[in-house]
Amino acid sequence: MSKKLILHDLSPEDAENLLPKESEIYSLYPAKPPVRHCVGCFGCWLKTPGRCVINDRGSDFSALMLQHDEIIVISRFVFGGLSPDIKAVFDRSIGFILPFFRILNGEMHHVKRYQKSPDLCYILYGIDINDTEKETARKLIAANALNFGSENSQISFHTSPREIREVLA
Amino acid sequence: MKIAMINGSPKVKDSASGVILNALKERIGEAAECVLYSTAKEDKQEFMQAVSESEAIVFAFPLFVDGIPSHLLRLLDEVQQNIVDAAPKAMIYAVVNNGFYEGRQNILALEMMRNFCIRSGLEWGQGIGVGAGGMTNAAPVGKGPLKKLGLALDMLSANILSGKDAEDYFFEPGFPRFLYKAAVHMGWKTQAKKNGLKPKQLYGDQ
Repeated sequence: MSKKLILHDLSPEDAENLLPKESEIYSLYPAKPPVRHCVGCFGCWLKTPGRCVINDRGSDFSALMLQHDEIIVISRFVFGGLSPDIKAVFDRSIGFILPFFRILNGEMHHVKRYQKSPDLCYILYGIDINDTEKETARKLIAANALNFGSENSQISFHTSPREIREVLA
Repeated sequence: MKIAMINGSPKVKDSASGVILNALKERIGEAAECVLYSTAKEDKQEFMQAVSESEAIVFAFPLFVDGIPSHLLRLLDEVQQNIVDAAPKAMIYAVVNNGFYEGRQNILALEMMRNFCIRSGLEWGQGIGVGAGGMTNAAPVGKGPLKKLGLALDMLSANILSGKDAEDYFFEPGFPRFLYKAAVHMGWKTQAKKNGLKPKQLYGDQ
């Protein structure tokens, strides 16, 4: 059975109405209220390898990535990327990969810490999404997948979080 | 002319973005008034004072997970309309540095900065992608491995002062990639030892 972790920035009301309930398949990780932001200390690489040193729930996310087969990110679409609340969680999760470098497709990337990486699925919502921003987001998920070591990724754009229920159905 | 220089690193001190902005400020010299602000302060009011009535705003920040660090992204998201009101004529420039060797890997963060400008109605000036950001302390800017960084900042300061836009520019240090990789790996292991960890433990599980 494939285990899916839903990282979302929905309000508690929207989450209650739109998302599947916690189950053997689905786990939920609300990005609101926001976790503290990464301070660039590299503690997750050099002090407590694999885990962020900041003492709040944001430090749990990288371990959750390992425990799931797919990360479904439901995010408000901001400047062609993820929302600040979602981004704060990802910035705190680079302990999922190693500080060391490898060359992949002719470019420098990080070495994976674990053999397995979850697939990525981005469900982005916002009004007046333009094609330029969509193009940025498509390249972003490809780059995130490459850097987290994910084999598969998919992305979709929506005008309202209300469309999410159909996407997840 | 007023130029706001926004350090988008979350670090209070010793950031590559700080080195880059100081070197840019040196190049601007007396030609304009430069106001520096560090986002590590998280003081929205001081940020607005820095950008208010500026003709150019230069953001320098590190690449985090292929994009803009979350604290800077939050600031841009929250104050975009305030920036337009306080500095309607400002041209926006951005210098992004990453830990990878290739400067081009900063391209998505620069695209997001450009998308921010289009969304808010601000004018995009130029983006610079600096590879091997961890080396910005290796020499004085403009010398040795940082020669290209010096040249890039010469070009950027000229563009800012003349209010010009220009193509994005990406570059690597004057230092081979395999040596950069080896030096960074050695640096991680040295720091790990200082933290009481054996190099092997860096590969560990949580």
